[in-house]
Amino acid sequence: MTQVPKKKPTAKMLLFGGLSVILYTTLFLKSETVMQFFTRGGIYAALPIATVFLFSYIHGSFAGNFWSVVGIEAQKTRLQEKMEQQKSRARRTERPRPRLRAHT
Amino acid sequence: MHEVANFIDLNLIMIIYLFLVGFVGGLVSGFIGSGGAFVLTPGMMSLGVPGAVAVASNMCHKFPKALVGAIKRYKYGQVDIKLGLIMAVSATVGVQIGIQIQHAILARWGQSGSNLYVSLAFVLILVTVGGYVFRDARKCARSGGVEVVSALAKKLQKIHLPPMIYFKTADVKISLWLTIPVGLATGMLAATIAVGGFIGVPGMIYVIGTSSLIASASELVIAFVMGLGGSINWGFHGLIDIRLTLIILAGSLFGVQLGAIGTTYVKDHMIKVVMGTIMLMVAVSRALAIPKYLNELDVIQMDPAVISLMTQTSFVIMVTALLVGTVIILVGIWKGRKAEKKDRLLHAPPIPETASH
Repeated sequence: MTQVPKKKPTAKMLLFGGLSVILYTTLFLKSETVMQFFTRGGIYAALPIATVFLFSYIHGSFAGNFWSVVGIEAQKTRLQEKMEQQKSRARRTERPRPRLRAHT
Repeated sequence: MHEVANFIDLNLIMIIYLFLVGFVGGLVSGFIGSGGAFVLTPGMMSLGVPGAVAVASNMCHKFPKALVGAIKRYKYGQVDIKLGLIMAVSATVGVQIGIQIQHAILARWGQSGSNLYVSLAFVLILVTVGGYVFRDARKCARSGGVEVVSALAKKLQKIHLPPMIYFKTADVKISLWLTIPVGLATGMLAATIAVGGFIGVPGMIYVIGTSSLIASASELVIAFVMGLGGSINWGFHGLIDIRLTLIILAGSLFGVQLGAIGTTYVKDHMIKVVMGTIMLMVAVSRALAIPKYLNELDVIQMDPAVISLMTQTSFVIMVTALLVGTVIILVGIWKGRKAEKKDRLLHAPPIPETASH
């Protein structure tokens, strides 16, 4: 069986890369205001925590797609194969068995 | 509510420096589960960032990095979420115990005493555990990279002490009570030297009996839970410098994903090789810092010039440890990719000959 070459996620990389640049530029252009609110403490602790979640999603997606575009991708591991086998076994057992119902 | 902290002005060189340190730290963390962040706190402090702000900003970058690394490695089938979460609970308790010990030492012997305790803990634990991990890695390498479950783990798995828990991905059944000491030690070490994974990963391998791949990947779950809790605490005191956090995160999100990809190209024992090497080098680095604190406590008398030289050498060795780890990982990925290409060429279907006559 021949392997079909996977399409590189260039568009995704550019999208998330663009969003990442916008986020970082905004942060540094407005850094004084950001620091003023983010270091107030108390309930304002939610601001840095929410921000790192947002940045890790946007910038993390950009970084992940970047490695794919430059051709550095994971090999299929033995553990992945084992996991897929377990899933297909589970699917097989989940399927309802045909039953013969006799009305007496 | 919050303490007044001095937040530094950033320039381009500082930004590039933090990005690169973040990348290298992320790469090591993605590969061995932890251990990349220990250079960041002293690294930030060398730029003039106050200690508490450096620790807070470092921790706030650590948990999203661990989350991204854990998601990536989960896709490769390497994360045992149940194991990570159970360990994270006892590790959180361990952090509190570690903090109490730190407070007691600080109150009794002051800052120098506390620094001395931290350095001694570093040296003792890293030499003992790191030496064992490194020896085991060499043994695995000699046997062709085959990992075997330790004798201790096999014995512990036979102890039937309810509740017994089955960890599906790790394929290990062990009593909950036997996971608790490992979790506690991980948390205590995290509170002492900021890198709980130096106990957590070997603990999961040699005490619980998981493979090094599963242990290093599940450690990322523990790091996420502990890091999130710690960051909320630091954020509550207003000490997180979000600019520093996000610059380091920018580099580390590239690194952590490359490190995670790297685990699929190397033999399992390479995780032990990298971990053992870094641990032993960091032990040497911290050993060089001990005379400084002994001098401050008037236990020994040393020339300040010699102490300054030892302190600088200590920092250089710590950075070198991270760089050596990085080189081993990158060479491993490069070799793995080369072997994969060769394998693909060997197994490629033959090109059909066209009829020329």
